[in-house]
Amino acid sequence: MADRRYETLVVIHPDQGEPGVKELTARIRKLIEEQGGTVSQVQEWGLRDLAYVVAKQRRAFYVLFEYRASSKALAEVERNLKLTDAVLRLVSVRQAENAPPAPQRPARRFEREEGGELEGADQENLGEEMA
Amino acid sequence: MMKDRGGERRGKGEGGGRTFRRRGMGRRKVCRFCADKAMLIDYKDARALGHFLSERGKIIPSRITGNCAGHQRELTTAIKRARTVALLPYTAAYP
Repeated sequence: MADRRYETLVVIHPDQGEPGVKELTARIRKLIEEQGGTVSQVQEWGLRDLAYVVAKQRRAFYVLFEYRASSKALAEVERNLKLTDAVLRLVSVRQAENAPPAPQRPARRFEREEGGELEGADQENLGEEMA
Repeated sequence: MMKDRGGERRGKGEGGGRTFRRRGMGRRKVCRFCADKAMLIDYKDARALGHFLSERGKIIPSRITGNCAGHQRELTTAIKRARTVALLPYTAAYP
């Protein structure tokens, strides 16, 4: 089965604390790899303010995973994450094969980057929404 | 959107015909994403997407922002994704 590029943004309960997040991040990474995926990047955004209250929390940890995996693996990873109580929200998006990797810092505003092949229109995304 | 009259308004006197003219003042809006190819639409970039939200947190129609249909569509999916992970609000923040 053809592997595809995905990225998943996970919102983690603030009560986990930094060590808890580290642990969970490692677990998710292992989970992806066990499913035959290869993780290319993990970004920890740290504790951020939420736009609205989730599980009575105003802030939460954000972790972004970039990886390559089969669609089956993605489904399994998502299923597993949804079962994890510490994971408040998640969104998975398929990345275009030629899309540049996410910049280290979460992009804060529109920045001019020179040289990048700047598509986006052809970015096939499959959104995963959680209720 | 298609009619570009060079941005000039013509005098009132002319033509009682059914010529449609841009109403009011102001210049023709150009899609910001088409104008600047470096501007990417990314659901993770909450601050950038915020420009296209009203104060109540609603998505501003392309009629107002001048975005082209394709980019507006991309923008709305990005905003909706950002909402699911609480990067952007569904409604205005309550006190």
